[in-house]
Amino acid sequence: MIQVADVGKIYGKGENLFTALYKIDLSVADGSTVAIVGKSGSGKSTLMHIMSGLDHATSGEVVINGKSLTAMKPREVDAFRATEMSFIFQSFFVEANQTCYQNVILPLEIARVSRRLRRKRVLSALTAVGLEEKVDTDASKLSGGQMQRLAIARAIVNKPKIIFADEPTGNLDSSTGEVIINLLFDLNKKLGCTLVVVTHDSELAVRCNTQVNMKDGEIVSQSGGASTAQAKAKNVNGSRHGN
Amino acid sequence: MVTRDIIRRSGRSLKSAKGRTILTALAIAVGTFALTLTLAASNGATAFVNKIITENFDPAELFVAADETLFGQANSTKPRVYDPSFGTTSTNAGTTTQIKRITEADIKKLSGTEGVEKVREDISVATRYITREGEKKFVGTIAAYNPAQKPELLAGATPADFDGSNVILPEGFLQSLGFASPQDAIGIQLMVSISKSLSPAQLQAQLKSGTLPQTPEQSSAQADNNAVTEELKVIAVSKKPITSRPGTELYLIVPLSEARRLNDITSEGTANYRKYNFVLVKAEDGSDPAKLKIVQQRIKDLGYQARSVKETQEFLTNIIGVLQGIVAGFGLIAIIASVFGIINTMYISVLQRTREIGLMKALGMRNRDVGRLFRFEAAWIGFLGGAIGSAVGVVLGIALNPWITTKLGLGEGNKLLIFMPLQVFILIVVLMVISILAGWLPSRKASRLDPIEALRTE
Repeated sequence: MIQVADVGKIYGKGENLFTALYKIDLSVADGSTVAIVGKSGSGKSTLMHIMSGLDHATSGEVVINGKSLTAMKPREVDAFRATEMSFIFQSFFVEANQTCYQNVILPLEIARVSRRLRRKRVLSALTAVGLEEKVDTDASKLSGGQMQRLAIARAIVNKPKIIFADEPTGNLDSSTGEVIINLLFDLNKKLGCTLVVVTHDSELAVRCNTQVNMKDGEIVSQSGGASTAQAKAKNVNGSRHGN
Repeated sequence: MVTRDIIRRSGRSLKSAKGRTILTALAIAVGTFALTLTLAASNGATAFVNKIITENFDPAELFVAADETLFGQANSTKPRVYDPSFGTTSTNAGTTTQIKRITEADIKKLSGTEGVEKVREDISVATRYITREGEKKFVGTIAAYNPAQKPELLAGATPADFDGSNVILPEGFLQSLGFASPQDAIGIQLMVSISKSLSPAQLQAQLKSGTLPQTPEQSSAQADNNAVTEELKVIAVSKKPITSRPGTELYLIVPLSEARRLNDITSEGTANYRKYNFVLVKAEDGSDPAKLKIVQQRIKDLGYQARSVKETQEFLTNIIGVLQGIVAGFGLIAIIASVFGIINTMYISVLQRTREIGLMKALGMRNRDVGRLFRFEAAWIGFLGGAIGSAVGVVLGIALNPWITTKLGLGEGNKLLIFMPLQVFILIVVLMVISILAGWLPSRKASRLDPIEALRTE
């Protein structure tokens, strides 16, 4: 459960003051899929960065599974990101001169997962994205779609609760993009992890449970699921307490 | 991230930039190469000096001379007052000088000094020739046996009370004197011809009677008349060199008493009779440096020059040290220069991998670990440079050692370059530390990168 409460972000000082986000309220239920949609400059990436603890909110609070990300020390945020979250980027960010195996093992090393468990986890992650035959292949030899699948394997290898995807199909042709989208939603179902997608891709956006439309640092509309974030938050809170 | 993973990752990222890494490492390797060889030469030279000293000298003994010239402190800018009790001599350089020698009275005085155990003369006798029945005649030097020497023998044995007209023959004479094996020489009598000096009285008599030689033939005949032939029995054959001191390989070693007797024959009736350039004074408990120092001071107070074996050793090693320091200085300059290479390379590495840094930070890698990743990368470069430089140095040094030994005439079994694994190891570790320090600023830049900015970099 991600709860974004009253989050604002201001860059610069004095005359150069620029408000990137105004009082954002949003809540994302565990296991759900959320698309944050908007033009560039709308603040959607900033929101994602703040939700993942990569950036600091100027005001407001981000609470994930009951823990306030905004109140944590940088070290704790790092550890939290290493164990609870992962990322998929538009330009993949795979290390071309390393093998698939070496690329995927990185989050396990960062999270200090014991050496015994690593190989098995890497192999199962690569299998999940259909790259089980490319284990020792250099990433540079992969196609764009395969690279993004490799990035997805890296994102799921440490069993995160939340995956943030920043324009995951932005660098892919539509048919490859389709494959990636299917893969992401499959994994969302199989692994039960929350998926937060920042995208322009309407095809991707409509497949999410919730679409959050942003403009000039504000949420202008939200569709699918509850009519407002607050309402949905209350709903989910209620149901979770019921469990 | 665990240190082990960081080290492996940093090594891997170097592999992906092989050219740059190797070029930077080579800069360090140049300095390391120079330093490795300098250290090896320093080891070798020190070992060589120490070997000569310990194989030839007793540390409890002091070199004592009456004349300061003998310790290399001659003052050639000031005329020296003539002393009628000593003859004039020519130095190697052809300079005429006088050397004040140690007389029997001096020896008595030294022997009577408190703390002195024994005084022995440093004698070497120039012979006319050395030969044996039916063989050619050879030029040779006879030297007194030094109890501190332990010559390695090929045949025979040196008795504890080495005395009488016996001789230890160096291996180098075997073939020339017609011996097939070292064993053949044992027990054989050698003939040694020694010239007697003409005393002033004899010369006067010759002048009076008009028998002074006029032609080279007459002169040679007179030399024969004036020479005595002594017989020396070979009791042992020494493996060359008996001393590690170059130039002494062919010395025939006789007991001190015999050396004295032969020396007396050559100098009887002259101003040099029973006078010696050096004597060796053994101090009681002289192996204790403090006690040796006290005796040395007493001898100096009596007006003699005295130098301990240790001082001689230090004098020699100091010269070596200065030369080594100069070479080491150049090596250090090379390493300092390569430090800038490392800094540059590391900055490039950070720039090239900005996105990777961003990704690692996004995945929760701590800033500290990101910094460490780059510092280890720098350490790898230092390690590579150190390993390449010292490996080339060691291989080249070992290959060149035999050539250097013959070129410098160090004598068989001596090496100029001695490599010590521990030294090389420490050198490499120091280089790694230097590299880490050089990588400090770039690694700090990496650790402070804003992940969002870094991820935005294309």
